[in-house]
Amino acid sequence: MSIRIWHALTSGMGKFIIVRVFQIILVLYLYMTLVFIILEAQPGDITDIYTANPKITPEAKEAIVKQLGLDKPIHERYLNYLRNFVTGHLGCSFKWGNIRDVPDPVCREQRPTWDLIKERLPRTIVLFLTYTIVSFYIGFFLGKLIAWRRGAVIEYLSTVVGVVLFTIFTPWFALLLVWLFAVNAGVVPIGGFINPDSWTNVRQIGTTDCSIGISCSNIVFTHLLMWLGGLSLFWGIVYLWSRHFPYAWQKHAARWGAVAFGLILAGLFFGGGWLGEVDRVTLARDTRFQFFVWYFEFPAGTIPLFPLALDFVQHLALPILTLTLISFAGTMLLMRNTMLETMREDYVMAAKAKGLPDHIVRDKHAARNALLPVVTSLIFAIAFSVDGGVFTETIFSWPGMGQLLLLSALEQDYPVAIGSLVFTGIFALIAHLIADILYAFLDPRIRYD
Amino acid sequence: MTKRYPVLHVENLTMHYLTRKGEVKAVENVSFSLDKGEALGLVGESGCGKTSVALTLLRLLPENARFLGGHVYFFRDSTDEAHARRAVGKPVKILLDGQEHQGRLLEATRSHLVLDASANGRREQLRLNRQDVARLGVDLTALSDEEMRPIRWKGISMIFQAAMNSLNPVYKVGDQIIEALQTHLPISVPEARERVAELFQLVGLDRQLMDRYPHEYSGGMKQRAVIAMALACEPDMIIADEPTTALDVIVQDKILREMRQIQKKLNMSMIYISHDIAVIAEVADKVGVMYGGGLVEFGPSDAIFKNPIHPYTKALMSAFPSIKGEKVKLAALPGEPPDLIKPPSGCRFHPRCPFATEICEREVPEFREHKPSQYAACWNPLSKGDR
Ligand SMILES: Nc1ncnc2c1ncn2[C@@H]1O[C@H](COP(=O)(O)OP(=O)(O)O)[C@@H](O)[C@H]1O
Ligand code: SF4
Ligand SMILES: [Mg+2]
Repeated sequence: MSIRIWHALTSGMGKFIIVRVFQIILVLYLYMTLVFIILEAQPGDITDIYTANPKITPEAKEAIVKQLGLDKPIHERYLNYLRNFVTGHLGCSFKWGNIRDVPDPVCREQRPTWDLIKERLPRTIVLFLTYTIVSFYIGFFLGKLIAWRRGAVIEYLSTVVGVVLFTIFTPWFALLLVWLFAVNAGVVPIGGFINPDSWTNVRQIGTTDCSIGISCSNIVFTHLLMWLGGLSLFWGIVYLWSRHFPYAWQKHAARWGAVAFGLILAGLFFGGGWLGEVDRVTLARDTRFQFFVWYFEFPAGTIPLFPLALDFVQHLALPILTLTLISFAGTMLLMRNTMLETMREDYVMAAKAKGLPDHIVRDKHAARNALLPVVTSLIFAIAFSVDGGVFTETIFSWPGMGQLLLLSALEQDYPVAIGSLVFTGIFALIAHLIADILYAFLDPRIRYD
Repeated sequence: MTKRYPVLHVENLTMHYLTRKGEVKAVENVSFSLDKGEALGLVGESGCGKTSVALTLLRLLPENARFLGGHVYFFRDSTDEAHARRAVGKPVKILLDGQEHQGRLLEATRSHLVLDASANGRREQLRLNRQDVARLGVDLTALSDEEMRPIRWKGISMIFQAAMNSLNPVYKVGDQIIEALQTHLPISVPEARERVAELFQLVGLDRQLMDRYPHEYSGGMKQRAVIAMALACEPDMIIADEPTTALDVIVQDKILREMRQIQKKLNMSMIYISHDIAVIAEVADKVGVMYGGGLVEFGPSDAIFKNPIHPYTKALMSAFPSIKGEKVKLAALPGEPPDLIKPPSGCRFHPRCPFATEICEREVPEFREHKPSQYAACWNPLSKGDR
């Protein structure tokens, strides 16, 4: 048994993943060391970077120096620095104040950096993942179709639109969309993360009291994130597991069954009476909640989570639309080109000769291979998507890591700037790693070198 | 005369490619026929249109190809219901005992085939007893793409010239064969895997290899896998387009012999395409010689090898020593193969032909029967004395 595990780890996919993970860890280590060197090379004492702000009380200053080990000699400081990123000891924000009802044990009246990052990282992940997946899929799908239907009207149309979107000046385009959809049509909010009015009466989610301190919106958002992640994982596993079912109908049954099961489960969760202690009368004034307050008979004082979750979805719509429109075109044009190339390959001709239906030749043979270079380009694009994130989150006031990075840098909130810089890097590297592993799943040739 | 059992009748097949430089007249008036269990060798210098003929038969032409005419009758037993249903409304050839009818099939019932055999302005409807009909041939050129699909691989399968590249790099080899099996037969994955294992054994591959990817195969192994794939649905006919040219001579020879064995054992028809007449001599029952987009000689291989009629056939044969593998320039044949955009007038072979006379330059020689079942297109057919 252990020999089999050893074999799995040292050959093919297992080996590939292990090697890549080690590579990423090495890159991460070098990156963090570089940040450390830059920090230490600053003129003045290192403690100043973390504490030189009037908002940091002497009491807090002492606690911070002790927690981060800033008073130690440099080699110990280096080890502490690395360890602090694991334990989440990243100092205290100069700008953001404490939001809990009791002073923070270390930061006193200021907010711990890790607290900020912990809150914002998921928001960025959701925005980034959703638009990456949506725009990639749309680009892939359209690119595939226009290559397959060469010369059709759709080809000229999408190529022109694609080139325009690909070359357009992005900030200008984003503002145009804001003006169009938010200001003029008013179908989506102009920006932000939530609509505070919808949340004023929310004091408790399930059994968690969020009236003071932990914000209720973060809890609902975490639920949303967990469900998105959990369902994707579940569907992915069912998809892989059903691949080798003996008959096609079994495959379809398993996959559609899993989709239905997941959606029903999520529906029950978000539709169920989870929101406790709500004042139904005030809540009913919010047009979005009316339906649920009046038409659903839930235990006293509870309404479903759904309308609150919808609040995020509404706020996400415009940034995702913008980012998708900006980035799908590149994928589409690249996909079109690689698809035109794979369509000339002998194995596509062979697939046709085998008498396979047209759509299977297109999807399973031509598009499946054309996908590979497109995914490669995505892997490289991920590394450069950090600046895109900063810009989008700023334009749409989406309080994620990109906005945090920009604000803290502008306001010289050094502890937060350092923390968010490192975590943005970690995030980009992990995304890169995941895309890399995904690629290895797509291309068997890569696994054996 | 033995009972005929046709699989394929090709009549006046013509196909050109449109290119920026002009129209490539790649297939011009090609006609031949093939019976069950026969191997036809299609031979000719590279660029003379052999692959194009194969692709036209299977209707796998690239976008710039223009099919300009001709018929490809593909025969099956008249008891094949799906085949008969597909043929309704299409041009067909019907073979009764010794008798052949041609026309459009109007109706196919369990008991009868109704044929519209109008010709030369004479309307004639034939009602044929289904039991009397031996073979029913439908014109593939008249089928829609969707109707063509079941014919591909189940009826006619193909081993491509670039056989090495006809395996999709991202799927396991076994799965690619299973895919073909499941498209045409109601078969579950475990059954299909069993079938793949049998096929692998037949072509001399280890069954473990079915779960490997193409890049883990050697050239010879890929070749065998592609052959196994072509055999998967037990087609009536296989087209093998230079299947061994990319391999070294020893492997080439071995695979060739095995293919011939399998083809005989399964009693399949085969079109074997090669530029090397030595290879053709080894495998073929019938030979078709192509030059400049046209078939210049066609007939039983022993007759042709003994008494070639067309000067080009003879020239090809004089380069026979290439059986050992080295490329021998056609000694008796100076000059280049014709440019198919502007082919020579009259007989396309005339600029290189040692027997050319004045008429050869002016008029296209008719492709006709010079000796029993030996056809050629030449004004000055060779007789024994010319050899
Ligand atoms: N897709 C194509 N477009 C234009 N010309 C082609 C195409 N495919 C083949 N040809 C031309 O058609 C002729 C016949 O080619 P081919 O059938 O491949 O010959 P062979 O298989 O005998 O070597 C050649 O002159 C070749 O250049
Ligand atoms: S027709 Fe004339 S040119 Fe052509 S092969 Fe015969 S003899 Fe030669
Ligand atoms: Mg060829």
